[in-house]
Amino acid sequence: MSSDFSLFERHVDALYRSALRLTRKPEDAEDLVQETYLRAYRYRNRFKPGTNEKAWLFTIMTNVFRNRLRQRPAPTEPLDQPGTDFSIYDQLRREGMPVHLMSPEEIIVERGFGDEVKHALEELPLPMRMVVVLVDVEDFSYKEVASILGIKIGTVMSRLHRGRQALQKKLWEYSGRPRARPVAVGAN
Amino acid sequence: MGDHCEQAMRKLSVYIDRELSDAEVRRVKAHLDDCPPCEKVFDFQAEMKRLVRKECCTDDAPARLRDWVRQLATENPPARDREV
Ligand SMILES: [Zn+2]
Repeated sequence: MSSDFSLFERHVDALYRSALRLTRKPEDAEDLVQETYLRAYRYRNRFKPGTNEKAWLFTIMTNVFRNRLRQRPAPTEPLDQPGTDFSIYDQLRREGMPVHLMSPEEIIVERGFGDEVKHALEELPLPMRMVVVLVDVEDFSYKEVASILGIKIGTVMSRLHRGRQALQKKLWEYSGRPRARPVAVGAN
Repeated sequence: MGDHCEQAMRKLSVYIDRELSDAEVRRVKAHLDDCPPCEKVFDFQAEMKRLVRKECCTDDAPARLRDWVRQLATENPPARDREV
């Protein structure tokens, strides 16, 4: 069976970077990935050859992670609040930036939105963060994410929608910090 | 914003996530070709998605973790180097 397990090895980077977004700490991420692989190894005969091994590993990892959270809940975890509609694009347009004349890349570079993506993502409430990571970073389909997390596809979509808006809101706040423009209170 | 714009906007996420049927994709594309303002919004959101992926893909697993995983496949699985 040892040759079969090599199928799983190749996902170590994907598991690690996602573990990092979930735990926020390199040592916790490493530990989470180890635990995930130990379980995968122990239960490797339950994996159906030909099915998606990456999704299988992520199912294990999110289960391990959620079990750990239950054992030692993080008191600082933000609540999963309903967000209001927010889009960086609309904000910039409202500010009078000629967004229609710029490429998306130009807009992102111009305001430095790329620099703090990881930080912003790690500040999202966990339910949204997990979905954004699985869809946007790991490229899982909605159906796969629903299966990995044991939630409905509609829930995947609404968390994704709110998660992306919350992410853009954070990035917007960060980008405004260093070069704060004088904005009238109550404007917008 | 017209009805067509609103319909297209409702499909924004599913479109950039490639979760639409071919027929629906064609319908959205037809609108975007006709409507530069909507196209700009779609392009920007798609770029934000790429940005998240790009920024988060820079963290590779540490070499020792990679080695540890590789050893798991051998006959004698290594003990975990860290206890919880
Ligand atoms: Zn339109």
